[in-house]
Amino acid sequence: MRRLFAPLLAAGLLFSAAAHAEDTLTPLHWQSQGSFGSFDKAAVQRGFLVYQSACASCHSASALHYRDLEALGFSPAQAAGIAASVKLANGAPATLDDTFKPAAVPASAFGGALPPDLSTIESARPHGLDYVYNLLTGYTAAPASVTLLPGRFYNTGYPGQQIAMPQPLKGNDVVYADGTAATLPQEASDVSAFLAWSADPNLDERHEIGLRAVLFLLFLSIIAIATKRKIWRETA
Amino acid sequence: MADTSQHAMEHGGESRRDFLKILTVASGAVGAGAVIWPFIDALGPDADGAAAAHLIVNVASIPENSAITVTWDGLPIYIRKLTAQQIADTKAVVTSTLVDPASFNSRVKPGYESFVVVVGLNTGSPCALEGNAPADPRGPFDGWLSPCDGSVYDPLGRVRGGPSTKNLVIPRFKFINDAQIQFG
Amino acid sequence: MSTDVKKSWLASRLPCPAKETGNCAPTLERGAPYLARLPALITGVALLLLASGFVLAVYYNPDHGFASIQFIARNVNSGWLIQGFHTTGATMLFAAVYLLLFRDIYRRAYTAPGELVWLLRVKLFALLLLVGWLGYALSDGAVAYWSLTDAGNAATGLGGVAGVIGRWFFGGPNGAGTLARLEVFHAVLALAVLGTLGAHRCATRALARQAKPKHPVSCHPYYTAQTFAAFAVFALIFAVLMFFAPHYGLNPLNRAAADSLIIPAVLSPPWYLAPVSAVASVFSTTLGSIFGVIAMLAVLAALPWLDRSSPAGKRGLVYRLLMGLLLLDVIGLGWSVSDPACTISGGLTVFFTIWYFFHFLVLTPLVTALEAK
Repeated sequence: MRRLFAPLLAAGLLFSAAAHAEDTLTPLHWQSQGSFGSFDKAAVQRGFLVYQSACASCHSASALHYRDLEALGFSPAQAAGIAASVKLANGAPATLDDTFKPAAVPASAFGGALPPDLSTIESARPHGLDYVYNLLTGYTAAPASVTLLPGRFYNTGYPGQQIAMPQPLKGNDVVYADGTAATLPQEASDVSAFLAWSADPNLDERHEIGLRAVLFLLFLSIIAIATKRKIWRETA
Repeated sequence: MADTSQHAMEHGGESRRDFLKILTVASGAVGAGAVIWPFIDALGPDADGAAAAHLIVNVASIPENSAITVTWDGLPIYIRKLTAQQIADTKAVVTSTLVDPASFNSRVKPGYESFVVVVGLNTGSPCALEGNAPADPRGPFDGWLSPCDGSVYDPLGRVRGGPSTKNLVIPRFKFINDAQIQFG
Repeated sequence: MSTDVKKSWLASRLPCPAKETGNCAPTLERGAPYLARLPALITGVALLLLASGFVLAVYYNPDHGFASIQFIARNVNSGWLIQGFHTTGATMLFAAVYLLLFRDIYRRAYTAPGELVWLLRVKLFALLLLVGWLGYALSDGAVAYWSLTDAGNAATGLGGVAGVIGRWFFGGPNGAGTLARLEVFHAVLALAVLGTLGAHRCATRALARQAKPKHPVSCHPYYTAQTFAAFAVFALIFAVLMFFAPHYGLNPLNRAAADSLIIPAVLSPPWYLAPVSAVASVFSTTLGSIFGVIAMLAVLAALPWLDRSSPAGKRGLVYRLLMGLLLLDVIGLGWSVSDPACTISGGLTVFFTIWYFFHFLVLTPLVTALEAK
């Protein structure tokens, strides 16, 4: 028993250590990363504000409903207010049960390809949090050696460096209610945090329940093994 | 003396094992219950189903003397905004002369007297009523008209003629603010 | 009186012999290791997969596979938990089955009179590979989509009988309706897995009854206590994986929606399909790949007859050394198709595949014959 399961268990517990070791490689630290991570609600709320003012006009996030915002710490009334300020394709205000959809603009307005849905964008890209952050902060002037294709922008964070999306964030695009300075890196990291929540909204609950479940099962394993050993000794 | 102490020890060992066994089995039962619960929980209504069961409709944009149709609970729901003239006319009717007597106040919500919300199905031979679309005929009482058996209703949904003998059904709903009503 | 009447009323109408001849008579040898409880753990996790699969099937929509999985995770009460049971359950089930097969080969448990139990275990493994792949295809993620498209195109493009079967199975190339039929096959074959587990249970019982234990012991409470403890530790590992590493061994790119215009950078399958996928990738034609996978399972099934020593024969040092190499070989097979860098894998996959067949077809008969002397 112990011969087999102890190494497996140790391997299981090592995941957290490995994940934390990775974090130190990047200058950024994301609270939601690692085996025991959780979302920074304030950052995710700020990220939603950035998303709503800079991303939502072109990108959809069809897996999200406005009612889901209550999980971020918005009150039902606040969430309803946010929904009501959004106009649906038919002109009516959105309700809590509508999904995050942009105004209906044909693909031709975007050069033929619709902007990707952002619901799970951070799962879809390796190291999604860093990817989004690096993309949003990666706009620079193209080096002299590079000839940009028409309608493309130079971005160091994008594979191939030539991206069709114009720079969405320039700093001070929003005014944060909590007084945080809306610098470009701040906005980019906040919206990255929001999209991390969007891709995996159950993370907090999973880690909370998980901790309780693992502690309970640890206790159960110990008393079950003790019972078994006692029974085996007495049946000798 | 030595005999009794040995006996007590054996007895203690026995009860310790019993306690351990009971604790193990009880903990196992708790664990099994915790695993089973999500399965029961998951078969409850999902968020979209729950939302559809409590449909919210915006009525602020309905112009006077016109109506909208929404579907709730699988039923066509007619929501009409009355004119001042229609309110005055329907209030003036003597309730006891009606086929299915119902007062003005029993057909509308207090404070929102200009909105009539009814299930748009004829109470006689069941079919969808005419009178909601702008081009539809509304019948002699300016309400709704059944194309199936010719029953006529007034703007409050009270039956005024034809084979039907019951007023239109009023669904469960409430005004959550001046602009929105919620069903369910 | 009333109990007796009830008992005979039921017994005469439902003559179930399980209670009388049951495994709880004192006929078992004492002191079996925890690993001997693996079949019970496998049955338990298979039932968990079945239950969670039923709930997922309520909400799964084959027309929008990926979107409906997102819907379950976000809008169904405890939906993410049920998905966790199913995803991590598959990982734990395969881990237990791989361990069971490897332990059997190591202990030479397949020798007479254990051939039937062994054959049923190989059949279980084969069925699980198919059910596992179907479940992976149903996830409809960016990677699974391409796995299904490739398999569907290859199978429907075949000629002759194989093509007829392929078109029957997939209903044409991956398109409308393909996921709907795969959902049904996934469920039906999952029930076949349960049937195999039932047959396996009967066969192991028959085997246990044949044995003449030196120190007989009854199953309760002796082995129920051990089984309970094994379940507790199994559940602990399950929970650690499910709550803190839910995508361990799975391709992270599969968590994105499929796009018919974009092929993901890394097309590796879940870890439990990787060794088989590696063998299939060695062959350049579709029929070759199918042949490779069938041959891979066939040499396992033939093991009782490839082993040339007597059933009582001891496993020698060389045999145990070879088992270590086989373990490394299977891990290597899986790793060679999961390597995201795609640097050295091609040649290594061929080498690992050759070693796999060399082990069973040449080394096993040779070494067992030599060591039997």
